[in-house]
This record gives sequence, C-alpha cells and structure tokens, in this order.
Amino acid sequence: MPRSAIERSTPRRFKWASVLFSALLLLIALWAGNAALALIEDLFSRSIYFGYAAAAAASLAGLAAAAIILREIWGLIRLRRIEHIQSKAAHAINFDDKAAADEATANLRSLYAARADCAYGLKQLVSHDHEIIDPRNRMRLAERLLLSPLDDEAHRIVARAARRVTLLTTVTPAAALDILFVAAQNIRMLREIASLYGGRPSALSTWRLARLVIAHLAVAGGLALSDTLLQHLLGKGLLGRLSARFGEGAVNGILTARIGLAAKAVCRPVPLEGDARETLGSLMRELVSFEESKNVAESKSQS
Amino acid sequence: MQFSNFIDGGRLAAGGLKDFAAGFVTPALRLGVTGLSRSGKTVFITALVHALLNGTRLAMFEAQARGIIQRVYLEPQPDDSLPRFAYEDNLAAMKGEDRHWPESTRRISQLRLTIDFEPQGLIARNIGRGRLHVDIVDYPGEWLLDLPLMNMDYAEWSASTLATSRKPPRDKLAKEWHAFLSSLSADADADESQAVKAAQLFTAYLARCRADGVSLSTLPPGRFLMPGDLEGSPMLTFAPLDIAADTEIRKGSLAALMQRRYDAYVSKIVKPFFFHHFARLDRQIVLVDTLTALNAGADAVNDLGAALTDVLSCFRQGKNSIMSGLLGRRINRILFAATKADLVHHTSHDRLEAILRSIVSQAMARAEYAGAAIDVAAIAAIRATREARVTQKGEELACIAGIPEAGEKIGGTGFNGETEAAIFPGDLPSDPKEALEGKMEGSLRFVKFRPPLAKDGHYGHIRLDRAVEFLIGDRIG
Repeated sequence: MPRSAIERSTPRRFKWASVLFSALLLLIALWAGNAALALIEDLFSRSIYFGYAAAAAASLAGLAAAAIILREIWGLIRLRRIEHIQSKAAHAINFDDKAAADEATANLRSLYAARADCAYGLKQLVSHDHEIIDPRNRMRLAERLLLSPLDDEAHRIVARAARRVTLLTTVTPAAALDILFVAAQNIRMLREIASLYGGRPSALSTWRLARLVIAHLAVAGGLALSDTLLQHLLGKGLLGRLSARFGEGAVNGILTARIGLAAKAVCRPVPLEGDARETLGSLMRELVSFEESKNVAESKSQS
Repeated sequence: MQFSNFIDGGRLAAGGLKDFAAGFVTPALRLGVTGLSRSGKTVFITALVHALLNGTRLAMFEAQARGIIQRVYLEPQPDDSLPRFAYEDNLAAMKGEDRHWPESTRRISQLRLTIDFEPQGLIARNIGRGRLHVDIVDYPGEWLLDLPLMNMDYAEWSASTLATSRKPPRDKLAKEWHAFLSSLSADADADESQAVKAAQLFTAYLARCRADGVSLSTLPPGRFLMPGDLEGSPMLTFAPLDIAADTEIRKGSLAALMQRRYDAYVSKIVKPFFFHHFARLDRQIVLVDTLTALNAGADAVNDLGAALTDVLSCFRQGKNSIMSGLLGRRINRILFAATKADLVHHTSHDRLEAILRSIVSQAMARAEYAGAAIDVAAIAAIRATREARVTQKGEELACIAGIPEAGEKIGGTGFNGETEAAIFPGDLPSDPKEALEGKMEGSLRFVKFRPPLAKDGHYGHIRLDRAVEFLIGDRIG
C-alpha cells in the first residue's frame, strides 16, 4: 500500500490536530446530549405525556444514530475485506501461491454466499472442489464462475450512467447545474458498482472508494491518450459542430464511462488481467448502439 | 496403361487440391503425442478423446466453459493407408470386471476428432461455421528413438552405441553381446549367420536395458524392440561392430553388409515414418514417465534426458510465419507433461514439474529459443487414485488410495486386485538437483493401480484440462 509507505517515510509525530478534533467532537456530543436531556426534563415538568414522547423520540434518534454508525463501520470493514481479497488474489495469480488462492477463494465464497445471482456459479465452483487445479487456475476459475456474470452487469451499469449523463448534460439549461448532475450520477454509479461486487457503500466507504477511483484514474491517465484524442474529436470537433451542448454531453458521458471502468477495477475483488481490461472503445460500442440500450431497458424493467 | 496412369495422376492432383481447399475451409490441427515407450501415450489419447466426446467437464478449457462447443465427434478415418486408432477397444479394456490398462502399442494408428463450435469473430459468425479437425497419431514409443539415426551414418552410430554399452550400468547387461562381438572381424567376408547372431544378441541386450529396475531410455534402433510388421525382415538383422567412426569399409565385408542394412533401415523405415507423421505437426505434447525414471536412479534419469533431447532435436519447432504455411509448418506449442501424476500426492506436483523441467531443460531451451510456447505440467489423463490422509505414529501422512493390480507388492504385502489400499508414496525433494543425482533411487513406493471405473460416464483426471487448453484451446473460438 502506497499510503503506509508514505507514513513510514515521514517521522512520526504526535497528532495534536486529531486530539483537538476528537475533543471538540466530544464536547459537541456532550452539549447535544445535555441539551436533549434538558429539553426532556423541561417537557416532563410541563406534562408527563410530552416528556415520554420526547424521551421516545430521543431514544429513537439515538438508536438511529447508532445504527448509522454501525452501518458505516460495517461498510468500511466490507471494503477492507474486499481489498484484502484483492491483494490475496493478485498474489495467488502472480506467484501461483496455494495458500493465498485458498484464502482468496474461501473469502470470495463467503462474500457471495447469500446472493441469489451468484448461487449458480457458487454451486459450480463447489463441484470443482475435489479436482486438482493449480492455484492460479483455481483463482481464474472462481473469477469466471462468480465474477463474470457480475462483470456483465457492471458493464451495463456504466453504460446506463454514461448515457444518462450525456442526455442530462445536453438538456440542462445551466452549466452549474450539470456539474451537480454529473457528480450525483457518478456517485450513484459508483455505489451501484460497489454493491454489485459485494460492498456495502455507506457514506464513509463511498468517500474512500471515490478517492481510490480518482487515484486509479490518475495512474491510468497516462495510458488513456487515445481516449483523449477521441474526446477532442467528439467534443470540440464533429459533435461540437453539430451542437455545442451535445458535444459537451458526449464528453461528460465518456468521462463517466471512464470513471465507471476505474470504479469497476477498484471494486472488483479479483484484479482484472492485463488484456482483459476493458477499454473505453469496447464501452463506446455499447454506448452508441441502440439495440443494446433497448436490452438494458428491458433488463432493467425485468429487475 | 498410359491412359489410366494419366487419370490417376489427375486424381492425385485433384485430391491434393481438395486437401488444400478442405484445409482452407475446415482447418486441421495435427497433434503430436510424443513419448517414449510406457510413457502413457495410448491412455492419454484415449482419455483425451473420451473426455472431449463425452463432454467431461474440463475446468480450464475456456471454449467449453464459455459453452461455444456444439458437437464433438469422430470423423471416419481420413487416411486410407493407416489403421484407425483402436479407441473403442482401448476404452473397452478399461471397463468391466477384469479391466486393465490398454496393451502396449505395436503399430502406428491415427484418429481424427472433429470439434464443431460457435465462431466468435464478427465475420466468421456470419459467413462460416467453426470446425476444427484434430488429427492424432499413436505409435510405439520405441520408434521415436530412431529419429536421431537420420543424422548418423553406420560407422558413427556403431561407434557411439558401442561406447555407451561399455559404460556402467550397461556394461554388465551387454557382456554376452560383447563376448560375441570380440570374435567378429569387421573386415572379414560377410556371413549371414554371424549377422543374425549379432543382431539377436544386440536385441537381447537392448531388452535387458529396458527391463524394470534399470529403465534406460536410449535404446535405438526402436524396431528391434518393437518390430511391428517387420519381424524377421533383413532390414532388422544388423548390429554395431567394433569400428571407429571414420573407418573405411571394404566392399563385401561384414561391415559393408551391416552398413547396407543400416542405410536401408534409415531410408526405408525411419525417414518415411518421420516425414509422414512428424514433419507436419502443429502442436506437440511430450509425455515423460518421470516417476519411474526417478525410482530407477540417476542413470535412468540421465538416459531419459539424453534420449528426449536427441529425439526432440529432430522436430521443427518455432514460431510460424506467413511463409511457413508454404514451406512446412512448425510446432509452435509444446507441453512437457510428467505423466502418472496420480501416483504422488498433489502437494508434490510442483516438485515433479520442477524435476521434469530440469530433465528436459536442454530440449526446452532449444524450443524456446526457436520461439515456440512452452509449458510444463504434471498430469494424469485418467486418475486412478484419490487422496487420503493417514495418521501413523502421530504423524499425518499425505497418502494416495486406489486399487492396486493383483500381484503388486509393497514391503511384503501383496495385493489381490480387489481391495483398496492407501499408500504413502514418499515425498519428492524440493531441490530438483537431488532427484537428478539419483537420491530418489528406490525411495518412492508405488504400485500399478487398476484403471478406475468411470463415474457417470466420466473419468477423473489431473490437469488434462490444462493440457487441452494449452494444446488446442486457442484454435477454438
């Protein structure tokens, strides 16, 4: 992990800033609690029914807050777990390592154990258990049986989001508005992809995912020269001549598609193989074909 | 007469044209199953054909996993001059109450397997159908050892064979023949009875070298041990004489007789065999019975490596280019397979592969340098055992369990061919060098297991899927 490497290279200092923030947070929480208690007492002194109602509301609020916090923690744990599977799977594939492959496949299995859309693949995978398969191939087998149906679905999610962004950018009247739209659509897409691959995208884990996606984009950016060319051609060239708004829409759509692919790479529990990595080109084909979009609409209405 | 010759010539030309056109429409892939005798060629071919015909699940065979294979079937024998591979007979031998492994191969045979599949490309999907013929040839492994003879003349061969036979462990086995040889004079007038006697003693020496416990591999000429339909032919009545590699041979001498027969052997038997069956291969799997050689000791292992290096240097390996379609194709994928991997626990398979890698390192380096793709795998085309854990004196042993053949013995315990036994085969060394130096001699305990019964019409296997994917997978889809 690059983050831990950076941490190690800088001298460790005591983090006064975080102490400050924690203390302030605690104070605010205490103040809120105190205010709530005072309110409840106040209401009790006025009428016993008001008091009970307020107490009930307060405990409900407390319960909800606890549930939210638990869910956030749970989401982060899930994310960590997927990252763990990713690193084990990469190790198994690169070094043909049996222990890593066993751990990664066992984790994958329990990750998808309760999912109806993975039940068939899981059953197939279990039936291969007593065969002798090399660790690297076992990893690939698990990937093929469990993840390839999900990959198709992820592909559709990305294409759908990209189309929606294109359309919205083209029709929104104000430029400021479409920034909001695009951001909202991208976050929605990210969450859909994350939950598709078994994540629990709560607020904090979505934040973390978004940062990972941006990091991924930055790393992959150097390789995407041809895509940029495409953008110029579409945005400022051909489509731009037809309609300035539509040109912008197309560019935003392509950007969304690229973010979608990065999100897929980040959320997928088994890293994509070099040549299997989808290019923008393969997505473009799906974007522009009307038949596909009909299929997507159908599959959406079915689900 | 003239006229019919003319017609036949026309037919031949049309046939050749048809073959060329047929190859254009439905490509054929020639799979070379290479292996010395007893390496398991026949079982491998039978198992491969059985698995593909019956749709046995091959986890790593991508085309099957993607579901694009529509039908697999056996085509009528394409080559009228060759017997068909006795697939059904071999399969029948492995079934029923008195099932046994197929008899060793005595003659050459061929089989054509056809795979219909859904083509993937845009153009192929719309104008064509996917069809691939896989041509497989089976032959006695002994004959393979003849291939290096193509590059040697009689005197050279004689000198090198004699030199090897004087080194241990062969010297003890060759005593009888050496004694007779010293009574012969290469320069004396030719005498048929002496030639016959020499050939007989030489053949007996070769047979002794091959026997269990010695398990040497370099035993040319192969037809001496497995004559096929040439039994008693004068082409097989020659033997090395005690001459130097650059001797001038006098006309009418015993040496001249031997030389004439050797040359006939090479030009009438070895060369046609090579050019008809091996010169046009596309893919090659080299089956090596590594475990038997390891158990027999360092001599057997070194001999095996030398034999394989010699044999493989006769094949055309390397990358194909546009021109190679016209000038003769090359073998562009070679799989080195350590067979009978079901005799050791799967935790030893990596080590088995490492050992095979070092045995064939020279042949492998040569093929790799020429640009061919290489893989090494421990396989069992039909898995006769399952794995079990046995606790003995507080130590847990990784064992294999199966039904040993009647008459097999381990440490005084005999088997009746009915009861299942768990056997601890021993661990392979983590350093392949140790194995090559013969440290494994006699330390592996294994017996011959009976063929397993097919479960729901399918046989178990070890890495047959990986072999299939490597050898033909890229040509489907």
